[in-house]
Amino acid sequence: MIVPMGHLLILATILFLLGLACVIAWRNLIMILIGIEVMLNAVCLTLVGASAYWQRIDGQIMVIFMMAMTSAEVSISLAMVVYLQRRKNSIDIRDFDEMRG
Amino acid sequence: MNAATPFQFPLLSLMLWLPVLGAVLCLVCYKKPDLPRWVALITTALVFLLSLVAISAEPAASGWRLLEDCSWIPSLGIRYSLGMDGISLLLVILTTFLQLVAIVISWRQDKFPVLFFPLLLILETGIIGVFIALDLVLFYLFWELMLIPMFFLIGVWGHEKRIQAAVKFFFFTLTGSLCLLIAVISLYLLHGQQTGDYSFALDALKQTDLTATQELIFYLCFMAAFAVKVPIFPFHSWLPDAHAEAPVAGTVDLAGLLLKTGVYGMIRFAFPLFPHAAEKSLPVLAVLGIIGLFYAAWIANLQRDIKRIVAYSSISHLGLVLIGLAAWNQIAWEGSMLLMINHGITTAAVFIAIALFHRRTGTRDIEKLGGLWQSQPNLSAFFLLFCMASLGLPGLANFAGEILILIGTFTSHSAWAILAVGGVLFSALYTLRMVQGTIWGPSCEPFERQDLLASEWLVLIPLAILVVVLGCYPQPLLEVLRDPVSLLLQGGHP
Amino acid sequence: MALLLTLTLLLPLAGGVFISCFGERVAKPIPVVVSCAAVIASFLTCLGAFSAAGEGLRVVLFSWLKSGSFQADVGLHFDPLAAIMALMVTGVASLIHLYAAGYMHDDPDQSRFFALLNLFVFAMLAIVLADNLLLMFLGWEGVGFCSYGLIGFWYRKTENANAGRKAFIVTRIGDLFFTVAVLWLFKLFGTLSIETINARAGELGLVTVTILGLLLLLGACGKSAQLPLMTWLADAMAGPTPVSALIHAATMVTAGVYLLSRLFPLVSLSPVAMGAIAIVGVVTALYAASCAVGQREIKRVLAYSTMSQVGYMFMAVGVGSVSAAMFHLLTHAFFKSLLFMGAGCIINLAGHENDIHLMGGMRKRSKPVFLLFMAGLICLAGFPLSGGFFSKDQILATAFAHGDPFHLAIYAVGILTAAITSFYSFRLAYLVFAGDYRGEEQGHAPSGLMIWPLVPLALFGLAGGLINLPHLFGGHSWLADWLGQGEEEFHLSVHSEYLLIATAIAVFLIGLILAHLRYRRFREPAERVVGRFLLSGWYFDGLYERILVRPFLYLCRFVWVGGEQGVVEGIVYGFGRTFTHWGKLLRLMTNGRISTYLQGFVWGLLVIIGWFLLRSVA
Repeated sequence: MIVPMGHLLILATILFLLGLACVIAWRNLIMILIGIEVMLNAVCLTLVGASAYWQRIDGQIMVIFMMAMTSAEVSISLAMVVYLQRRKNSIDIRDFDEMRG
Repeated sequence: MNAATPFQFPLLSLMLWLPVLGAVLCLVCYKKPDLPRWVALITTALVFLLSLVAISAEPAASGWRLLEDCSWIPSLGIRYSLGMDGISLLLVILTTFLQLVAIVISWRQDKFPVLFFPLLLILETGIIGVFIALDLVLFYLFWELMLIPMFFLIGVWGHEKRIQAAVKFFFFTLTGSLCLLIAVISLYLLHGQQTGDYSFALDALKQTDLTATQELIFYLCFMAAFAVKVPIFPFHSWLPDAHAEAPVAGTVDLAGLLLKTGVYGMIRFAFPLFPHAAEKSLPVLAVLGIIGLFYAAWIANLQRDIKRIVAYSSISHLGLVLIGLAAWNQIAWEGSMLLMINHGITTAAVFIAIALFHRRTGTRDIEKLGGLWQSQPNLSAFFLLFCMASLGLPGLANFAGEILILIGTFTSHSAWAILAVGGVLFSALYTLRMVQGTIWGPSCEPFERQDLLASEWLVLIPLAILVVVLGCYPQPLLEVLRDPVSLLLQGGHP
Repeated sequence: MALLLTLTLLLPLAGGVFISCFGERVAKPIPVVVSCAAVIASFLTCLGAFSAAGEGLRVVLFSWLKSGSFQADVGLHFDPLAAIMALMVTGVASLIHLYAAGYMHDDPDQSRFFALLNLFVFAMLAIVLADNLLLMFLGWEGVGFCSYGLIGFWYRKTENANAGRKAFIVTRIGDLFFTVAVLWLFKLFGTLSIETINARAGELGLVTVTILGLLLLLGACGKSAQLPLMTWLADAMAGPTPVSALIHAATMVTAGVYLLSRLFPLVSLSPVAMGAIAIVGVVTALYAASCAVGQREIKRVLAYSTMSQVGYMFMAVGVGSVSAAMFHLLTHAFFKSLLFMGAGCIINLAGHENDIHLMGGMRKRSKPVFLLFMAGLICLAGFPLSGGFFSKDQILATAFAHGDPFHLAIYAVGILTAAITSFYSFRLAYLVFAGDYRGEEQGHAPSGLMIWPLVPLALFGLAGGLINLPHLFGGHSWLADWLGQGEEEFHLSVHSEYLLIATAIAVFLIGLILAHLRYRRFREPAERVVGRFLLSGWYFDGLYERILVRPFLYLCRFVWVGGEQGVVEGIVYGFGRTFTHWGKLLRLMTNGRISTYLQGFVWGLLVIIGWFLLRSVA
């Protein structure tokens, strides 16, 4: 491997934390979705790296699955964002807390 | 347990499971709203007849009249074991009779009859099961089985504050039952460790060696469940709410039967399993009984809802039963058993009369009622009879039990009996106040004379006859009770 | 004989049960006819069985309660005491039933009335004939219940129903003591048979006997309206007049005397208990006589006079003469039921007016009623040679014969009471019969059915002395012999007997003269403190209200509000509130925002990672 595994993992961790912070801190639904994507990509990065490290193809197969799944997920969630936008005329998550105890 | 006869007609099982079968049938024919009540009526009538058939079974040398015993879950040592002695017999007959009465009196129940009647039937199975189960797991199952239908009966078909009452009832009894469950399992494990024989059978568990502390803790756990059901002061506060809010069938079952399961649990399980702890607790029981007797009577004296008056009177009467148990001798115990049965009948009868008044006047408030003799002479006459029985007029049902308790208690503990006699005075006070506010005085609505319906006659006449007959000639009952009571007093069945 | 005796007891029961079950469903006169027939038949069977009483007759019908060593049979014991009492009860009850048939003729609720009346006779006979104390207790409570139902018979007026309840509860307070005595007797003897208890009473210690005697006395006080449990009797006059005549004059109120007479061998062992009985009797006699002077309602006068006369009977038991007590009980039953039924006729004549100040001139309205009522009154007042004269004289003579200061004091109070009795009797006579009518009501004459039953009562009352005529008058003290008490009598010298009789006649005359002077002409009495004091029965009602009823209600309220709602429910709902409170706090964490949940997730993750890091470092 050209890049040491350690660097890769550090990068993936940073990416994941950035995504997590984005999800926690943003109130805009779109930004939360972006945060989720970032986190997913951090995971993908780890999987690809691990695949290269152990010379096994499974990780890359998994990543391809995830890409397909993520695209489906994004399309559905964006559709829901549009729906929510229509319903309350807002995409601020503070307006969507009916599920509280 | 002898299985001498190769084939024995499973009368107990039949009695026990027939109501469940009836309940299933009711649910099957849910499309016709009239059918469930007929199914329920026929089922309960059959069960009642079966319980009468059970009288013919002669008691064996061991004291049991009927026994059934087979393996159920062998890996845990749980057996399906049922047994009926004289006490169970009378209580089962009381159950089947009152259940029949409850079905007839709620004949015109129009709110979800498809669910109402099955619940009553399942309740019947639960109560009968409690009175005949000899395996502690089986007993516990039936004990909990009583709770669920009752919860729904109060919560769905009750009066105004039904939800609160149902929840209160549920939590009280459940808390008690959980203590019972814990104690049963611990006792099972302890017994298994000691003997290597893991069994939930009552007879086996009696042989467990317990230190005094262990015995006391187990005893208290058992008593927690039973004390809530009886109810013993100060665990009674679910009772007035539940009685007042339950529909008439529920009240009949509560007052007539459920309270008795508590006393039955004590004499069948708690006392024989933990005799030393029980012996030590007797003065406490007597004191709690006396407190309950006075306390409930005094409170009853101020209630406005006549159902609550009778509810508190139940607490008061059960206090007397408890004093009888605490006296721990033959006369007092026979009196206690007799009073339980008689109280079941009279209180159920009073509640039924009150429900009929309620149907006609739309109120249970003693301040609004009055002079009902004018419009309902027949019903009022029944009500007066039942109330007089309830306050212990000699020659009517309750007196026979009360006087035996007093006599038995006086021979061993004079002071308790003298106090208890004082309590009997107060029962006259609140009962007469209730009679006064209901049937005497200036008349309230409706003013026209109304007669009873055929179904109401059908219920009230047998109750009235029983109230009188049991008061004048309780001897057959006492004969049935004699041997089982003396066996239990000697520490249970061999 | 056994059959006749059984029928005596069961016929009224059968009548009562029949009427209560079917009375509403049969033609109108049937309940009345059945009821009267049952009681009269019972009287006849009792008469038939009477001859068997001499040697004592026992009938055991069945075993009522049997448990362990305890056994109580439904058993009858027919001895001279029971026989004479049963005969009186059924006889008087028959006449009163006939009278009631006339009196209640127009009442729509007749069948309830006659059912209760029959059941009452049954319960009273159960008291009289019972061979054990438990069956006696059945009758004891049974008469209480019937009295309750009959006092409140006209239930639409709350006062009537309240009076019934008061009677039931006050007598039940007495019953408590009776119950304790019964329980104790069982513990001592292992049986409740009256015969055995009497036979073995000598085995008991003095203290035990004294306490038992006092308990029985208190029990008797409740039923017989003696101090301190007497407040119910005057209010009980709210019931229909035949009820007052039967229950509150002739039979039920004398049950206490009967109880003490029945257990006399036990009670008489304790001088303290006997003294207490005599004191209760004589004090009640004086108290009630003084109250009778102040009453305005005719039936309340008679009620207090009943109380006073029953006090005499207690006094007789207390000074040791059952025969004197029974003698007075019998004559009193005759003349007092006569007086009550006469009062019923007078009330009818006065147009349903009870107040004697609004009467007057009744003699002109109905001669027969006047004559009959006067026959009763002179018996009550102790007119020489009437039944009441002899019986009262015998009680006083017995008290006097003891000779010690205590009994002489009792004698003195008794004589004083006799004077007051004579005074209020003639006060009543003058106010009701003399002068002109002072009210406005238009009365109606009583029917024949209401007059004729009074005639035999008047005859028995006037001639009642014959059944126990003292030797001095050429009699043979038949009643005392019959009761087997002849040997217990004290023999006074002829000289002192004449003296006593002279005193009795003197006090009768004093009362008569005073009443004549005061009431010959009607004067509206001035409202005075003394008058109000006597009218209200020495304010005992108010006193009991203050010291018993209200504190009791406060106690109930305290227990309910403080105990039940405060502590018991407070703890229950306190648990509920605590858990609800915690639940609400926990609820704040689930605010429905993913970011909050994720934050929690992150913090949790950090803690776990930190934990592992720390572990690996360590």
